[in-house]
Amino acid sequence: MTNRFRYSAFAATATLALLWPLFAWAHEETGQAAGFVSGLTHPISGLDHVLAMVAVGFWGAQLGAPALWALPVAFPVVMALGGMLGLMGIPLPGVEIGIALSAVALGAMVVGEAKPGLPIAAALVAFFAIFHGHAHGTELPDGASGLYYSIGFVIATGLLHAAGIAFGMVHERPNGPVILRAAGGLVLVGGLYFLWRAIG
Amino acid sequence: MTNRTRTLTAAVLGAGAIPGIADAHLVNTGFGPFYDGISHLFVTAPDILVVVALGLLAGLRGPTTGRTTLAVVIVAWTVGGLTGLALAPPVVWAAATTVTFLALGAALAVDREVPTGVVAALGLGVGLLHGFLNGAEAATSGIGLVGLAGSLSALAVMATLITALAVTWAQGWTRIVVRVAGSWITAIGILMLGWLFRPGA
Amino acid sequence: MISRGLSTTCRAAAACVVVVAALALPASALGHELDPGFLQVTESEPGVYAITFKVPTAGGRRMPLQPMFPVGCSETSPMTSRPSGTGFLERWQISCDGSLLGETIRIGGLERTYTDVMIRVELAEEEPLSYIVQSVDPSVIVGGEGQGSQGALAYAWLGFEHILLGIDHLLFVLGLLLIVQNRWMLVKTVTSFTVAHSITLAIATLGFASAPAAPLNAAIALSILFLGPEIVRVWRGETSLTIQHPWVVAFAFGLLHGFGFASGLTTIGLPSGEIPLALLLFNVGVELGQLVFVVVILALERAFRVLEIYWPRWAEMFPGYAVGSLGAFWTIQRTWMLLGG
Repeated sequence: MTNRFRYSAFAATATLALLWPLFAWAHEETGQAAGFVSGLTHPISGLDHVLAMVAVGFWGAQLGAPALWALPVAFPVVMALGGMLGLMGIPLPGVEIGIALSAVALGAMVVGEAKPGLPIAAALVAFFAIFHGHAHGTELPDGASGLYYSIGFVIATGLLHAAGIAFGMVHERPNGPVILRAAGGLVLVGGLYFLWRAIG
Repeated sequence: MTNRTRTLTAAVLGAGAIPGIADAHLVNTGFGPFYDGISHLFVTAPDILVVVALGLLAGLRGPTTGRTTLAVVIVAWTVGGLTGLALAPPVVWAAATTVTFLALGAALAVDREVPTGVVAALGLGVGLLHGFLNGAEAATSGIGLVGLAGSLSALAVMATLITALAVTWAQGWTRIVVRVAGSWITAIGILMLGWLFRPGA
Repeated sequence: MISRGLSTTCRAAAACVVVVAALALPASALGHELDPGFLQVTESEPGVYAITFKVPTAGGRRMPLQPMFPVGCSETSPMTSRPSGTGFLERWQISCDGSLLGETIRIGGLERTYTDVMIRVELAEEEPLSYIVQSVDPSVIVGGEGQGSQGALAYAWLGFEHILLGIDHLLFVLGLLLIVQNRWMLVKTVTSFTVAHSITLAIATLGFASAPAAPLNAAIALSILFLGPEIVRVWRGETSLTIQHPWVVAFAFGLLHGFGFASGLTTIGLPSGEIPLALLLFNVGVELGQLVFVVVILALERAFRVLEIYWPRWAEMFPGYAVGSLGAFWTIQRTWMLLGG
């Protein structure tokens, strides 16, 4: 048997194994499933969140390795720390403003194709990640299972980054950098709108 | 393996991981205690996350570490499981099982070279703890030894597949994918801790 | 030759793990004692329902299952009971105060078994409804939404369950996997097994032919036993018709196994219009279950190779011997039963 064939069969099995809980799920109480679904939909329900997450991917694509992967590795962990504060009821001032500002700042970075060193870029992203996580943490619906909410929430965030990075790949194409900067401009404008709403 | 196959596999696995979730610890499959035991592993999120994190961690360090850790974790899980089944303590220890997958996820995301012995020792600790709780649950839920055998078979198959997958993914960009998976697992753990220690919990 | 030896090694090792797991299954799952029950409720005139209940047997005895209807229902004709195939067929009539729509039908005693019961309700002027109930939740609300597996999906679920609990079928497939030498042969073998058992499953379900349960089970056991010596020949590097053309053997014995699958699909009382769909979906379920099994074995083999795990010789040979000796055991046991022992 060829290697390729075996590999496909192998990967397919691993996938099936991961999919297996679908069957089990049919018998689940609705509470857990609801927790997972609300966790999954939460990060994409607010446009301000979506803009900032996708911008992380854009910026990573502009910065290239190692930031391209360092940011998506670091962001979920720091965001989860923010989420933990939110869950534990520890208040954080100006969360809405922080989120809107993050879209403005990250949008501006993408428009300007700013290339600070990795520590600075990581620190900037991490700082804003706290606000995003906190907002999600405080909004956990009553009665939902924390674990499933968390899993859904982390997966959705990661997929938004992946979408940003995937779109950011146009950077490698002719005219790509311009398109990417224009997309950053949209994020910036959106961020300014949410900032105006958060302050106003 | 071509780059395209890898991309495809990564995408499929990523999509596949999404529904891999459910809480309640016993799902009656209607197929008898052995299959109930198998499904138990998959619906117990901390167990499946810990198996994934440990398998990926060991596999990234090559076949030798992967093989050794695999043997250790399966034996430890079995010993822990039988002990738990015999003692049948009514405990859950959600914080402890959260810390295990959180820590393994972090080790995976950081991705530093460590000796085989260290990874195997992690496998020993994790296997004993999670196995013990599995065994206790098999006893209290009534699926008993046959159910525990189901969980152990599922564990052995899952851990083997995941470890081998990580060995084949250790080079190139797929290694990054594995590290990102580690960071996601850590993030889930951190959020879970926050939820466990929320006011009024 | 070397690569063949290595491949066989890995495959044997992979199979070993699965056989150990399979042996841990409860004894009740062995030997096909898990035929589902079937309850047909047909509204013959307003408020009057004809009941047909096919009750499976366990260990030769009628399983203690009893359908329970809403409070306003009472029996209006005495129950007749006769043996039918592998179970008992019971018929009676009830009349109820109102329509059964929205009411609960419960299968008493099901919670203490691992069997499923398929419930089919035909109300006047309504589409027929089908449900599968299991020990977890042995009742359905007629016409209610979101309960267990319903309608067409129920047949696929039955098929999936039937193969996963049919250790003898799985062992036969495992034996074939231990014999095939390359990818093309694997595809041919699995396909011909599938085609063959689909043919006889269809023939049996549509009522053209049937095989009595006892000799059939003995013959299925014999097919597993047959593979044992062939596996040993592969280890020794010898060859035979089976090793060169495993698909021929897979096809021939597949015809037998198809009759076996038919026992899992109870069609008595099914309206003839629904049989083709039931047959198709049941078969889909069986194939899915078989595919899951084959893919898990192949993936494990690949994983062992990637991890460079090599098993001691006795462990490698274990699956082959397990196929052979379980086949032998079942052959003797079922022949004994056939002879009235």
